[in-house]
Amino acid sequence: MNKALEANQIQGKQAVHAVGMTVLLVSFAMLFATLLLGYIVFRLTTDTWPPQGLARIPLTLPTISTLIIGVSSVFFMNFEKAFMTNQLGKMRAFFGLTMGLGLGFMLVQLELWNSMKEMGLWVSGGAYPSLFYSLTWIHAAHIVMALVSLLFLVPRLFEGYDMDRITWVQNVGKFWHFLGLVWFVMYIVMFVY
Amino acid sequence: MAFFEQHIHSEPKTFLSKYIFSYDHKVIGKQFLWYGILFLGIGGIMALMIRWTLAFPGQAFPIIGNFLFPETGGVVPPDTYAMLFTMHGTIMIFYAITPILIGAFGNFLIPLQIGARDMVFPLLNMLSFWLAFVSGVILLASLFTPLGAAAGGWTSYPTLSTLIGSPGAGQTLWTLALFILGISSTMGAVNYITTIIVLRAPGMGYFDMPLSVWGLGLTAILNAIFLPVLGAGLLLLIFDRVFGTTFFLAGAAATSGTGDPILFQHVFWIFGHPEVYILILPAWGIVSDLLSFFARKPAFGAKATALAMTSITILSTVVYGHHMYTTQMSPLLTQSFMTLTMTISIPSAIFFANWLGTIWKGSIKFPTPMIFSLGVVFVFGLGGLTGLYLATVTTDLYLHDTYFVVGHFHYTMAASVLLGGYAAVYFWMPKMFGKMLNETLGHIHFWLTFLGLNGVFMGMMIVGYAGMHRRIYNPFVYEFLERLIPMNTFVTYSALLMGVAQFFFVINFVYTIFFKKEKASDNPWEVGTLEWTIPSPAPVYNFKEIPVVKCGPHEFGNPNLTGDRDFQYQTEELV
Ligand code: HEM
Ligand SMILES: [Cu+2]
Repeated sequence: MNKALEANQIQGKQAVHAVGMTVLLVSFAMLFATLLLGYIVFRLTTDTWPPQGLARIPLTLPTISTLIIGVSSVFFMNFEKAFMTNQLGKMRAFFGLTMGLGLGFMLVQLELWNSMKEMGLWVSGGAYPSLFYSLTWIHAAHIVMALVSLLFLVPRLFEGYDMDRITWVQNVGKFWHFLGLVWFVMYIVMFVY
Repeated sequence: MAFFEQHIHSEPKTFLSKYIFSYDHKVIGKQFLWYGILFLGIGGIMALMIRWTLAFPGQAFPIIGNFLFPETGGVVPPDTYAMLFTMHGTIMIFYAITPILIGAFGNFLIPLQIGARDMVFPLLNMLSFWLAFVSGVILLASLFTPLGAAAGGWTSYPTLSTLIGSPGAGQTLWTLALFILGISSTMGAVNYITTIIVLRAPGMGYFDMPLSVWGLGLTAILNAIFLPVLGAGLLLLIFDRVFGTTFFLAGAAATSGTGDPILFQHVFWIFGHPEVYILILPAWGIVSDLLSFFARKPAFGAKATALAMTSITILSTVVYGHHMYTTQMSPLLTQSFMTLTMTISIPSAIFFANWLGTIWKGSIKFPTPMIFSLGVVFVFGLGGLTGLYLATVTTDLYLHDTYFVVGHFHYTMAASVLLGGYAAVYFWMPKMFGKMLNETLGHIHFWLTFLGLNGVFMGMMIVGYAGMHRRIYNPFVYEFLERLIPMNTFVTYSALLMGVAQFFFVINFVYTIFFKKEKASDNPWEVGTLEWTIPSPAPVYNFKEIPVVKCGPHEFGNPNLTGDRDFQYQTEELV
């Protein structure tokens, strides 16, 4: 195959994956939208929020999570750039940073759940803690999925740029940014507001 | 349209790669077909057990009763009755009809009818089937848990479906199975939508696609958007059952704090109403095509049909409240939902009229696929019209949760979709397996099914109108329902007839696939869509050359035809 044709093929493949990923992310978005809708319904139909006897969850940890996940997205973008220009050193660095922050996010979430328990918010303590635990669990489960999908990019760190793998890098990236965005919405709706 | 070059795949060699873990959309389609037919059988037997109990309460179920329920001497026990209707509904909707229409024909038809060599994401496609398989195994396993299977109805409303209503593992497994199946169907949907967008053959605009592809594509869109909604509800239900959250527990049932059982109903029906269109849209598409093929006329107003289906798809997302009139919704809401629901009659009437327009003055032939399609026209008409009574708040308050509802939804989804699925099986059999099903057996199958089906579902509507509620083990303990025993017996005999009719299909199907020698020709029905331009059965790579599309799918009797046939292949140019 000559170069021009090959480039054409790659572009076509990217377009195809863009369509597929869009549909997939719409599906994921509907999952989180439903959960948040449930949250909003409970919130609006409860007279006092948080319900009597329960405390608000302090903003510190969720804010740290938000910062971490935001920065990790920036790192991933840099990783993607380095991949496209085939700079192995930069790729490794930014991949490591993304991965590290991803794990960091999970650690902060664990800490968040611990702190909720210390505040006396137990999973079985009614709708209020139910909502906070379940929504963060489900989001965290997706983060774990995203971390696993990041592992699929590890071979790139040694072999560098490969045309056939562009779509992989892009798709994982989209999923990662998407989860960051979902977290941001959750942060605003559930913790800040 | 050529986003990238589609390679010609080499033929897989090993048994595993050819029949089990195949990437080929045609093989995956067949896997889904067998899967669906198997579950159709299981769900059908369950239906017969329900019906038996309603006609002959307290009598042992014949033949297998003693084996299944030894402690009661073969009589279906009350708690088992609840499990039976729950599992029957779940199996029929999610494990029989969905795999057959969407899994099997979605997979088989989309690439073939748009001129592609396969789905865009073959691996995803294979995963989708095997996830569905895992889900099916979990569902069946739930039948053997100590407290039995789920028993909260296919809608699994809390508190029936929480630990209060059903403490056993059965309901948890049910929820898990459905969640996994949802993932599987979403994967399928991503594949279908992307394939339709990017792999249409050069020259094929959206309105050059057969209406079957329209139906399947719209279904995929609804699946991609609304299955995750159900997924969210199911996840929260699992959390309630396993981790002790209290989303759906209220009042004394909740130890602390308070959840809201009605919330689940909202989530369920936000998904659930689109779901009924998810089931019917592929059947509509297929029937629209077949009516035109066998009336030897262009599909009347094909563009309008496609657009009507699209507007129904859109409207179907905003009417779900009509399932919840009795939940003390504010009258403002019930009236709005009623109005919105009635609005659906407009596009429905349009495409129904188009069906009639298609067969009007056609030179109709009556092979098996066509009579099944005409059957769909009839039963869907009935099912659709009876829906108006349920959409109207005042009448629904009386009819809600009666057998009238059961009759209505069986006419629309059970009867229409089932007949549509059969039409598709008879029609595409030559392209799938390279052989034709026997016409005589096909006709017997149709007429017995059709008679039985109307006996069952019409009978259900009548007893429902008389006030008999659904999901009751023995309604006749209530004095006012005692007189309905003969009618119920009639319904049960009709159901048995319908059950017997399916043997004609199974025999025909199995014989044709495994024993029949005679091969079908490439285009036995003489129609012009792309799948009929290639050999029967379709080769691994589908199209040796990617076809170039030059005309629509229903060019019959057109004065501009170029050949001496009365139809035109989509690859041929009209003058
Ligand atoms: C062989 C023909 C069939 C017969 C005789 C039959 C009979 C029945 C009966 C007696 C019930 C119980 C109603 C109640 O007590 O509430 C029922 C429920 C149901 N059936 Fe069927 N059925 C048949 C086919 C189908 C098919 C093909 C579908 C799939 C689309 C289907 C979907 C359902 C659903 C969703 C329910 C509701 C289950 C529930 O109450 O949770 N049925 N059917
Ligand atoms: Cu509905």
